[in-house]
Amino acid sequence: MQTQEHRPDERGLWRLTRGQRLRYASAVIAIALANGCMLGAPVVAGYALDVVTRADLGVGLAPLGWMASRLGAVDPVLAYLLVSALVAMLVTALGAVFMFLRGRWAAKASEMLARRVRDSLFRRLHDLPASFFDEADTGDLLQRCSSDVETVRLFLSSQVVEIGRAVLLLAVMAPVLFLLDARLAALGVCLMPFLVVGGVVFFSRVKRQFQIADESEGAMTTVLQENLTGIRAVRAFARQAHEIERFGRRNRAYRDNIFRVNRLEAIYWGVSDLFCLSQIGVVLVAGGMFLAAGDITVGELFVFVSLIAQVIWPVRQLGEVLTDSGKAVVSLGRINHILESQPESREPVPETPRASGAIAFEDVRAGYKPDRAAVVDFSARIPAGQTVGIVGPPGSGKSTLVRLLMRLYPIHCGRILVDDLDVREVDRRWLRGQLGVAMQEPFLYSRSVAENLRVARPDATDDELAAVAREAAIDDAIDGFPERYETQIGERGVMLSGGQRQRLALARALLKDPPILVLDDSLSAVDTGTETRILEALARRRGRHTTLVIAHRLSSVRQADRILVMERGRLVQDGVHEDLAAAPGPYRRLCEIQGLLEETMEQDLARPARRKDDDNG
Amino acid sequence: MAEAELSGADVDRGDGFDDEAAAAGLQRELWKRLFAYAWVYKRNIALLAVVALFTAMFEVAYPLIAKWVVDDVAANGADASLWLWGLLHLGCNVAMATLVWALVWQSGKIQAYASHDIRRDAFANLQRLSFSYYDHRSTGWLLARLTGDCNRLTDILAWAFLDIVWGATMMLGIVVAMLAIEWRLALVTLAIVPMIGWLSAKFRKRILGTARLVRSANSRITGAYNESIMGVLTSKAFVREQANSRDFGKLTTTMYRVSLRNLVLSALYVPLVLLVTALATNLTLVAGGSLLHAGALGVGTLIAFMMFVRHFFDPMEVMGHWFAEMQMAQAAAERVLSLIDAVPEVRDSEAVRRALAATARTAPRPGLAADGGQKRIERVDLKDVGFAYQGAAPVLRDVNLGVGMDETVAIVGPTGSGKSTLVNIICRFYEPTSGQVLINGVDYRQRGLHWLQSNLGVVLQNAHVFSGSLRENIRYGRLAASDEEVEWCAKLAGAHDFIMEMERGYDTEIGEAGGRLSAGQRQLVSFARAILADPQILVMDEATSSVDTETELKIQQGLKFLLQGRISFVIAHRLSTIRNATRIVMIDGGRIVETGDHATLLAADGHYAELYRQQRLDEATRGRAMPE
Repeated sequence: MQTQEHRPDERGLWRLTRGQRLRYASAVIAIALANGCMLGAPVVAGYALDVVTRADLGVGLAPLGWMASRLGAVDPVLAYLLVSALVAMLVTALGAVFMFLRGRWAAKASEMLARRVRDSLFRRLHDLPASFFDEADTGDLLQRCSSDVETVRLFLSSQVVEIGRAVLLLAVMAPVLFLLDARLAALGVCLMPFLVVGGVVFFSRVKRQFQIADESEGAMTTVLQENLTGIRAVRAFARQAHEIERFGRRNRAYRDNIFRVNRLEAIYWGVSDLFCLSQIGVVLVAGGMFLAAGDITVGELFVFVSLIAQVIWPVRQLGEVLTDSGKAVVSLGRINHILESQPESREPVPETPRASGAIAFEDVRAGYKPDRAAVVDFSARIPAGQTVGIVGPPGSGKSTLVRLLMRLYPIHCGRILVDDLDVREVDRRWLRGQLGVAMQEPFLYSRSVAENLRVARPDATDDELAAVAREAAIDDAIDGFPERYETQIGERGVMLSGGQRQRLALARALLKDPPILVLDDSLSAVDTGTETRILEALARRRGRHTTLVIAHRLSSVRQADRILVMERGRLVQDGVHEDLAAAPGPYRRLCEIQGLLEETMEQDLARPARRKDDDNG
Repeated sequence: MAEAELSGADVDRGDGFDDEAAAAGLQRELWKRLFAYAWVYKRNIALLAVVALFTAMFEVAYPLIAKWVVDDVAANGADASLWLWGLLHLGCNVAMATLVWALVWQSGKIQAYASHDIRRDAFANLQRLSFSYYDHRSTGWLLARLTGDCNRLTDILAWAFLDIVWGATMMLGIVVAMLAIEWRLALVTLAIVPMIGWLSAKFRKRILGTARLVRSANSRITGAYNESIMGVLTSKAFVREQANSRDFGKLTTTMYRVSLRNLVLSALYVPLVLLVTALATNLTLVAGGSLLHAGALGVGTLIAFMMFVRHFFDPMEVMGHWFAEMQMAQAAAERVLSLIDAVPEVRDSEAVRRALAATARTAPRPGLAADGGQKRIERVDLKDVGFAYQGAAPVLRDVNLGVGMDETVAIVGPTGSGKSTLVNIICRFYEPTSGQVLINGVDYRQRGLHWLQSNLGVVLQNAHVFSGSLRENIRYGRLAASDEEVEWCAKLAGAHDFIMEMERGYDTEIGEAGGRLSAGQRQLVSFARAILADPQILVMDEATSSVDTETELKIQQGLKFLLQGRISFVIAHRLSTIRNATRIVMIDGGRIVETGDHATLLAADGHYAELYRQQRLDEATRGRAMPE
């Protein structure tokens, strides 16, 4: 998948803030108010300095002077000083409150948005057609859902606020300074444009270097992960030295790239510090000159130096933040690619809650790629309750048939009916609710055994869980787990073998008790004795479900009511085992190979001349 | 790196390291050990300390320059030597810029290099650690140690060191300067210090604590996404869309709650610090203003003091942050060090290490291995071997088995009977907990681990393939093998045909963990690799379980050739594979219950005969297995 599929779009960011705009607007107003307060305090202090140096209330702020004179203190200058300090404290406190509100509102707005994006991504991932996932790379999708969301969240929660703070600080400060002294104000901001533009230019230039460092970390992690997952292969060939060398190469590359980034940052911090400090120096020295000439007071000089020192550091950040915010637009585009992909269509839900399970394939043709059909002109009518075996070489279309039945993939021609309802005209969820599928490589959640089973039916009782576990011959294994049905599966719990996974998945499908049961090569990793047990259990269920058994071993299908033989997507034979085995054709060939092997084994067994085997051989 | 994302705080739950407990107080020993990694770069550290010292001194100079400017103007009016002050300021600026550049450079170097060294050591130890270590530690856990934790700790080593030196010097410098200029005013200003300290202690740790909750929630969300993508077909098949979204909604709500708490704490903390700073400034203003009014103080001094206040609280803030971060990171430090310190259960003995050290200087004599023992493996004998995983019931008991050259031993038995454990012990991936394994009559614990394992060829059921081309994957068996040798082995393994059908043949890139190969194809590649290794002991653990029978027939022919001149152990379900073994060992409940060749065992009509009858039909019907 390419990021370019979706052109980054600034309007996307604006649309995203829907529902939280009021909060954001309040946060912005709060920033402005907080800035006003925070910058107001030094101004109050500056006037106080003037009052004290000249011992004249007239040069101070009029309301404060009035308040000081009302106090009736012995020394009005000291009274003014005290009033100023109190007012400055109050103003700062007010500013602190606004700062807190700004932080709270911005946090709430951005976290709400982030949650909405996460939830809708998750929902959309569930609504997308299966074909979407065939083309997509899991790691890439995951990155869109995690780090891209994080980039957008950071942008919304801190970068927007950072930019707003710097811009509003300048906007609030500039008028005050220009009112005090226009020349000094102009000198006070003269280096700032260079700082911002320089920052933007620098960070866009070094972006590539940052990317290289990220990529080299990725490459290192990949080697590490491969080594850890393949540790048995490494040890089996005593390749430790080779692996250490391989990892060492990536580790060194990552170190060198990170160091390079750090060196570039060192240059940036050094140069930008020079600019910031010089900006303060310009104000100080020029202010000193104006002070000497009597153009400004010492209090005003204090105000200038304080304000510039307060504003210059956020302004320095601006270059970096502006460059970073470009990433948010790209990330949003990548997120939108998922959100705007076409979901599965919705059809009406049929009135019958439970189908009888009759299936009809009518001239079905379908495939994953338009030019290569995996299933060709496939027709078969399966009455409710029948058990049907499906056999055929790899790639003959057996599994595709199941996927079409589940409507995971589109049907190109013909149709599939379940209870005389075209699967394309009924609600997918209803349709899938009628099917219980056990796959060859089943997916299990990293939760407890019981929770994994209850995926099929959340309200199933413990007895029902035990019953299906017995039928799927997984009961002994579960009883052997430390916490039986409450045992966690996966990395933090027990690791199941392939056969155990398959049997658990089968139990899950059985628990669903669906009208149509599908075993898609789902006993391939189960040993024979166990398989026999499972087949017997399934035989007892005969008639309860329409059952499709895709076979890996003939032993699973020969007892079926009927066997369909597929080759290259076509149905080539259809009948019961005895008939098919008697007639020339692919099934008979299968039986012949089997016979050959069986013969040698029979000979082996005949030698000790013991009791004949009792089952269906 | 999706997997790295996954390996956040979530994989750490219940790993025996307690984040909360570790976060109490600073553990000096821990940091001393970690600091040793930075100490390798002594020159950089010394330089860093000197530069940080100078930086702090220059920062103290700035308010003083402001004071001199104001005082000069007050005293001399238009005759003030402002150009001089301007030049001084500029000089300081250039010096500061250079110092800051040097600081970031040096810290950046220490960070990058120390991080590299920790990873190097941890990785090297991982290559030594026994499989039993991996039984307890998931890949995610290990990954998190070598990526996130490593960077976090070395950030502390480099930047915290820098900030603490810088901050302490600067605070000290300011205190000295203030006391020297006007000690009474200084005392008033410094009265606020304890308040900031208290605030910082109160908030910093809580903020970092909630940050950890955010990380943990985040990793669970990523895990849920991962599960939803991997399990999309299952979710659809069981119509789990709404239930999953509901569960996920709980996660995002938790995430919303904890990150809001984290952000609000910060939103509260920053204004509070500003408020306390303002308190200090205004106290200074009132006290200094009174002195000024009384004529006891110059206005320049007062301005300098008010500037000092700001400069004073910055480093306090930064240092407070680092102390809290160090406390929070102690659990990570313990985890990383535990990884570096872990001692492999299976390792060379003292004597072997001495022997290896001796031959490292002089090449071993012909016919001898690097550890001084016989190079060629002629016999493997197990004497009363027993094995139990730590604290568990024994898996193997009293296993006695002798195998010589050219012999192929098939190990059969029900699931969980101890077949794989037995093979792992022969390979010395685990060592027996009782009894001995003798190779050429010598206990293998008296021989080198590398010697034995470099003479092994192991093919596993879950064959692992690495990213890279097919050729590289096969060549992993013998790194110096030529292309012809690689192809020859692939032919023997029955892998050549499918490889040639791929678009770029042997140069086809197979992607991480072999995503583009089927399970059977992975086994064939792994098989070819083992053939190429030309091992003296060949071990196949369900090596061809996912291969269709036609291919397996081909492999059987290759095998006949391959088994010559080696000792082989084969675990298999398929009896057709087992029948050809020179000896069959039947294991049940951790004991050898029967041993003999196929015909003898059938004639004995015991467990093996039973198993054989049971599987007979299955075997036949697999005649043309159709793996999908």
